[in-house]
Amino acid sequence: MNLRFAFGLFFVASLLLPAAAQAQVRYALSGLVKAAGTGETLPGATVAVPALGLGATADATGAYRLELPAGRYQVVVSFIGFQSLSRDLNLTRDQRQNFQLAEAGNELGEVLVQGSGTLEQKLQTTQMSVERLTAKEARLLPALFGEVDILKTLQLKPGVQNGGEGTSGLFVRGGSADQNLVLLDDALVYNPSHLFGLFSVFNPDAVQSVDLYKGGFPAQYGGRLSSVVDVKLRPGNPDKIGVSGGLGLISSRLTMEGPIKKGKGAFLVAGRRTYFDVFTRQINNLNKSDPDFNPIPDYYFYDFNAKANYKLGDRDELFLSGYFGNDVFSFGSGQGFNFDFSWGNRVAALRWSHVFSPRLFLNTTASYTGYKYDISNKLDQFSFNLASDIQDLNLRSDLDYRPNEQHTLRAGLTATAHRFGTGRLRAGSGDGRLNLGSDITYFGQEAAAYLSDVYKPSEKWQFEAGLRASGFQSGGRQHGGLEPRAAVRYAVSPTVSVKGSYALMYQYVHLVTNSGASLPTDIWYPSRESVRPQRSQQVAGGVSWLLGDGRYLITNELYYKWAQRQIDFKDGAQLFVNPDLDSDFLFGKGWAYGNEIYLEKKQGRTTGWLGYTLAWTKRRFPPQRGTSGINNGDTFYPNYDRRHNLTAVVIHSLSERVKLSGSFVYSSGQATTLPLGRFGFQDVYGAETSAVPIYPQRNTYRLAPYNRLDLGLVWQMKPTRWFTESDLTFSVYNAYNRRNPYFVYFDQVKDEQTEQVVRYRARQVSLFPVIPSVTYNFKF
Amino acid sequence: MVRIGLISRISAASRRTVQAAGLAAGLLGGAGLAGCGLQKEIDVELPAYPAQLVVEAYLENGRVPRLTVTESVDYLAAPTPAVPTDVTATLTLPDGRREVLKFAPAFDERTGKAYTHVGLRPLVAQPGQTFDLELTDTKGRRVTGTATVPVLVPIDTVEWVFNDKPEAERKAYVLVRFQDPQTPADFYRMQIHRRRVNKEPEVDYVIEDRLNNGIEYTLGTGYDFRPNDTLVVSLYHLNRPYYDFLQSVQNARSANGNPFGQPSAIKSTVEGGLGVFTVLSYQRRQLIVK
Repeated sequence: MNLRFAFGLFFVASLLLPAAAQAQVRYALSGLVKAAGTGETLPGATVAVPALGLGATADATGAYRLELPAGRYQVVVSFIGFQSLSRDLNLTRDQRQNFQLAEAGNELGEVLVQGSGTLEQKLQTTQMSVERLTAKEARLLPALFGEVDILKTLQLKPGVQNGGEGTSGLFVRGGSADQNLVLLDDALVYNPSHLFGLFSVFNPDAVQSVDLYKGGFPAQYGGRLSSVVDVKLRPGNPDKIGVSGGLGLISSRLTMEGPIKKGKGAFLVAGRRTYFDVFTRQINNLNKSDPDFNPIPDYYFYDFNAKANYKLGDRDELFLSGYFGNDVFSFGSGQGFNFDFSWGNRVAALRWSHVFSPRLFLNTTASYTGYKYDISNKLDQFSFNLASDIQDLNLRSDLDYRPNEQHTLRAGLTATAHRFGTGRLRAGSGDGRLNLGSDITYFGQEAAAYLSDVYKPSEKWQFEAGLRASGFQSGGRQHGGLEPRAAVRYAVSPTVSVKGSYALMYQYVHLVTNSGASLPTDIWYPSRESVRPQRSQQVAGGVSWLLGDGRYLITNELYYKWAQRQIDFKDGAQLFVNPDLDSDFLFGKGWAYGNEIYLEKKQGRTTGWLGYTLAWTKRRFPPQRGTSGINNGDTFYPNYDRRHNLTAVVIHSLSERVKLSGSFVYSSGQATTLPLGRFGFQDVYGAETSAVPIYPQRNTYRLAPYNRLDLGLVWQMKPTRWFTESDLTFSVYNAYNRRNPYFVYFDQVKDEQTEQVVRYRARQVSLFPVIPSVTYNFKF
Repeated sequence: MVRIGLISRISAASRRTVQAAGLAAGLLGGAGLAGCGLQKEIDVELPAYPAQLVVEAYLENGRVPRLTVTESVDYLAAPTPAVPTDVTATLTLPDGRREVLKFAPAFDERTGKAYTHVGLRPLVAQPGQTFDLELTDTKGRRVTGTATVPVLVPIDTVEWVFNDKPEAERKAYVLVRFQDPQTPADFYRMQIHRRRVNKEPEVDYVIEDRLNNGIEYTLGTGYDFRPNDTLVVSLYHLNRPYYDFLQSVQNARSANGNPFGQPSAIKSTVEGGLGVFTVLSYQRRQLIVK
């Protein structure tokens, strides 16, 4: 039986069987669950009908749906951190009913991890390998320079590695950073980092939550191999105008939100900017008279997020989300030489949500995303400009259909037009004698259709099956394939669930980078004649066990992932403005496998989690294209391979106003490449003799293990006449001042008198010592 | 040394990006890595790396051939020169004659370089002719290489432009113009020395004509030169293997100490060992900036 036939059979059989069993007239009760104060939707909230012993959980958009026989019922809506709400309803037809929950008084000073879903819901769902984190949760944790970063907080979850000290890139289950599908309100973000990966582009004031899928990918997601990072902006306050913000060590933030029209819609606008440049300019001014002083270049970044929603009627609502941000680096020598370098993303998404009936919803999103960098170099009358960009226009439509209690069907279509400006070079002179240019632009079209069903035949069993068909064309060459997805959950007992999943993924666009770090000059490249799409398959199995009357959840997951047509580059590949870039690609295979143990506690005065991952990530690039491949075709570990990774996060509420937090990370040393040999190189006329390092193989050396403790304290101050809320957040990054390795290099030791080299030595560089910081946050 | 090119300086742009990254990271990391005690010497155990023969042989028309044969060593080995004494170097001329070079280590005042092997008589090397080199030693190692003489690409003009600053700060940049031939895949190296060519050059970079073939090229410098500086401008026309070798040497050097760099293998122009065997084709101009 082939795969397609099996899936077809599954859908048909699962739809028909329960339909035959239905006899009683049942109606759908559906709607949204929101926070009364802020209008935020509350994914994970429970809507229950105690008389029938039935209940439903709000999904990622805060929507719930229940199938009930006609009749009068008491409906109880509850969520951690909010007062339960009870309402009598007479159900005589399909009915849409929204609920607004008021925040609970917090007399006990409990740490309320809102929006993350309860542990019981996590136990019950078919979806495995997913981590949800809210901005509120992230704000309680200590952060580098006090800059709360929701992507960096995700690095504390099992199965997720970072790319180096302080960086926000995610390496999920052996995948590289470019294999993450990063979405902001359903619009793709190509380069989600500021400052060479040290900060992510997501302003915590504007973000509601992020879901990270490490495996078991639902069929609506595609286009990347290793993970989905689904970031949702929070809606503005629908009731009143409010302003909030924060003053930090390196940046400040300001957010404004409020109703557009009472009961109709709300808006939110959030911005932030760093101010390194303000300080460095002062330092430059103070040293102006020193001829030996090298001026410090200006650097800053800023970004804006905006979201607005507006109800067109009972059945229609529009959502507009946007992001705009830039990093700016500039240097002027004062001698006619100027160097300016800027890069940034622009993202806009307009979503139309239509409710056909309480059983049928449609979301249609049109989005634009763009990323570009621009380097300008000027010397007197001569100029040099290098730039690259990528732009996408996307249209997607997702239909949710819940024909009965047993099924939740989802189907959708998506189409994207890509424009890859992989390199643009301009050089010119004022006298016109020099006028050069080169542009390399490719176009591509990507499309996909999917269908999935969550089928719940009994309390014990729950299945999710999906099929995604995707395709891509560029340069007259078409690629495509079927991407089956499947997941199953079996409830061994009310407190123990066993889960399994399988997913196949294709990736049609590829990041061209020669560096492990996230550099702004990394460019995206389409699948073409000789660059076929990357492909991966992942199987995962796990068990979840609810302990201590539901206060603890322990989860163990095993995964195995294998990937084809992984991409790397020849040594010395010319990645800039290369019309023949295809010929510098190398193709290989990858494997990743491991085990993740995760213990969580989400309620009480002390909450947090403990995670341990044992993992292997391997790659092999055989001899090809006139090269001996990588490491002569032998299997090697990429630099983000870590054998052991342990994370511990604790948040403790000392009192109603004071919360302490701590996070500890330990991971095995990063694989890195060091030169094994050297030779003396004299060169031609005059050039100084130097030692040239010889790198026969990649990643043969392991840096020392990484470990770090961060501590934090949030002191919430009493409301004043001016501020309804304010707090001081203290962070200590790297509390015991460990010199973690950032990289290792070799240098020469010279005799001070003779200037002769007396020996060679290895030196380890660390990036961040202990860094205390304080941030003041306010709201009025 | 300031290195500013006005054409095809893509690699320079990427290097600046990396420098920018390092600077920004340093900015965040505090007032300099060393100053904060963020660097320390560590013990590193590296796997043994078998020694290879390394050759540097730059033939020139009209000059007696001189080449240097050394050995690679473990990176952390003592800094004593590793010069094997049992290497036989044989040069095959375009007409097929084989000439065994004499092992006679010495220092060449003209180039400022040490050499180990020397030929018997000046070479005649015309564009398009091919030379072969073979090195053998008593351990059974054998290194071979082939080099073709590139066509000479002459310098058309060298000019300089002073800034408008007061006399004490008056500096000039230099422009070197030449015509790239219509042939694809031409590679160049420009050096500017002060006074003599056997000292470290003030400007030294390589470019290729990949993006703009067959046009007039202008190579430039920064405001590096004071009035009355005596400069020697050299323009080398390189063949691809030599260019690739130089680039790989540059990449390998850059990777050491750069957390954003990708380590790069040395692309030697010889087989069986490391190094370069090539025939130089260059034109030189001397000028005084006034």
